[in-house]
Amino acid sequence: MSPEILLSAAVDGLLIGGMYGAVAVGLSLIFGVLRVINFAHGSMLMIGMFLVYWLWVLFGLNPYLSAVVAAPVLFLLGFCLQNYVISPLFRRERSGVVEPLSVLLVTVGVGLILDNGALLFFGADTRSISLPFASETLNLGAVILNWSRVLAFATSVAMTGALYLLLAKTEMGRAIRAVSQHRDAAALCGLNVYRIFAITFGLGAATLGVAASFLMPFYYVQPTVGSVFGIKSFIVVVLGGIGSIPGALLGGMIIGLIESVGGQFVTATSAAIFSFLVFIVVLLVRPKGLFGKLEA
Amino acid sequence: MSLKRRTWESLTLAASVAAMSMVVLTGCDTSAPAAPTKAPAAPASTQAASAAAQPAAKVSEVKIGIIMPLTGGTATIGNQGKAGSEVAVEEINAKGGIKSLGGAKMVLVPADTQGKPEVAATETERLALKENVSVIMGAYASGTTFPATEVSERLKVPWVVHSAVKDEITERGFKYVFRPCNKSMFDDKEMLSAVAYFKKETGKGPTNVALLYEGTDWGRSVGDGLKKQVDSYGLKIVMDESYTQGMSSFQSQILKIKSSGAEAVFLAQYTPDHMLFNKGAMENKLNLPYGLLSLGAGAEDPAFYEQMDPKSFAYMFVQEDWDISGPDKQPWIADASKKIQAKINYPINSYAAMGYSNMYIIADALERAASADREKLRDALSKTNITSGPPLIMGYTGIKFDETGQNTMSHGVISQNLNGKRTILFPVENKADPSAKPVWPVPNWEDRK
Repeated sequence: MSPEILLSAAVDGLLIGGMYGAVAVGLSLIFGVLRVINFAHGSMLMIGMFLVYWLWVLFGLNPYLSAVVAAPVLFLLGFCLQNYVISPLFRRERSGVVEPLSVLLVTVGVGLILDNGALLFFGADTRSISLPFASETLNLGAVILNWSRVLAFATSVAMTGALYLLLAKTEMGRAIRAVSQHRDAAALCGLNVYRIFAITFGLGAATLGVAASFLMPFYYVQPTVGSVFGIKSFIVVVLGGIGSIPGALLGGMIIGLIESVGGQFVTATSAAIFSFLVFIVVLLVRPKGLFGKLEA
Repeated sequence: MSLKRRTWESLTLAASVAAMSMVVLTGCDTSAPAAPTKAPAAPASTQAASAAAQPAAKVSEVKIGIIMPLTGGTATIGNQGKAGSEVAVEEINAKGGIKSLGGAKMVLVPADTQGKPEVAATETERLALKENVSVIMGAYASGTTFPATEVSERLKVPWVVHSAVKDEITERGFKYVFRPCNKSMFDDKEMLSAVAYFKKETGKGPTNVALLYEGTDWGRSVGDGLKKQVDSYGLKIVMDESYTQGMSSFQSQILKIKSSGAEAVFLAQYTPDHMLFNKGAMENKLNLPYGLLSLGAGAEDPAFYEQMDPKSFAYMFVQEDWDISGPDKQPWIADASKKIQAKINYPINSYAAMGYSNMYIIADALERAASADREKLRDALSKTNITSGPPLIMGYTGIKFDETGQNTMSHGVISQNLNGKRTILFPVENKADPSAKPVWPVPNWEDRK
């Protein structure tokens, strides 16, 4: 095993790990603030990817630029989903009749509707985008980096950073953090808690719009593609810590690294075992994840 | 208050457990021991009774189950197979249906495997027991066909295999399974023979090879077949890897191939992963002197070629399951291609052709059986001996099943993608253009225009 190969594998792992992180960030945010495990996360990513695909095919809009369209559209999708489907369940929960478990099942249902809706309207075919420059490579000595992956990583980091700043520095961010800390206290402080929920869900979905736009140049889309990244997101979220934005990014990079470097020594399928092992160990040793905040 | 709440909670819990277990049990209610004795006896006896009562059995339609992956990663191929079958059935019905059954029409009853073995098995049961089909055709992937044919064998329903090459499908001593297409050993042999032929013609060829295949039945049967045969062709395997479908990236595998010193890589991949791999090979400039040797599947799917940058599949060798020059050489195949294109927007390919051919094989057996009864149909299928006509759209020399149910006269062709077109290079007698020569070794990525 030459050191160049190992270095290449490590760099590849970090790059794709950044993308896992970017996809997981929205999930982490939604779970941290709303305590909702969004099982429709992968499906929403798939919708975002189809949106980017159709913008390219119908209007020739470069996928990287279509983030500008995809993010707001998915924000709207997430906002409406929270406002009209999930919040009513929250309101009913207050009267003690409906368990929060039902929200989990609702997101599963939404995921199924999105998957099968995509199947109905777009068909089962696998689609992909070929951008000429996206297959160009950046040669750093022995390590060959593909531009589309480098850009995807850069966008993941930028997006995560922007989201973190939004939460840390803006008024809306402060409101979101307040709601995540204590729902009722936040309401007592005069915050419209349900609107904050909807905005947070929308934000989580918007991150998927951005993620979709930088995944399309090197990946493919078909109605069941959401599960590939969706399932990894759950591992990343728990590893990085629920509700922690930098945690999601770092968790993603760790998983990517393990898969990529591990994949040099054993088959890819076996390398995946390592990431699950790490997941279990972290849960046993540090249940709130690497960077998680223990919520009250 | 709390006691009442707890009682409510335990009641709800008990109710939902009961409901879920009922759902689960009803889902599994077609339990093995009960069903086979009940169901097949019924159609057989009514057919026998009606056949005995009236010499010309009054059957107005023959139900044919068609079970393919209509959703999931291999959906494009599943739908191509189904379209081919639909075109064949329409043609047969338009020409008067099954004449020995008084013009009975063939009716397709579709089922979706979703690419999952367990779904394939339950759908087979549904076709056999609920829909009462006379014969089943399917199911593309070896991973789904292998378990599904166990179910059909148990329920005594004849099965005509579409595509699934796993050797063991016809090596289990089953009586009801018939495979018109190649088995995996044949596919591997064709590819290896082609490599040996090019080596002989040019004096150059690989010694070290890598294997990359998907981890379900098909990929593994390809891997096993290659591993068994490489020594006799003077090749050495330096990397042998399987993967789970739905990979997020092939970077690891590509790096491994690079560091293994392989001069060529044998691929067994379905469409989405094949697309991802080719893209990755292009992006990483995976320079292998003797290139990518694909055992088909994704590389036989027109959806692959439509969506991908032509540079990513240039010079790739593909083991095609059928004679791809068919539409160019024979007008009736070109016609069939047009009809298929009208249905699914793709011209004919090996999977659509197989769907088409299998329906004609079934029609031929129905004519000889003069009955829609499963046993009579099974017997007729085993005596199939076709030497001409629409079933040979695949380019085989004939359709004749041996005692294991395997057609011994099937074969594919090896093509190389030259100037955007898959050009047949082997076997030599199947070359569409006799002057075609392989580009061997293949140029490095940097040197390609």
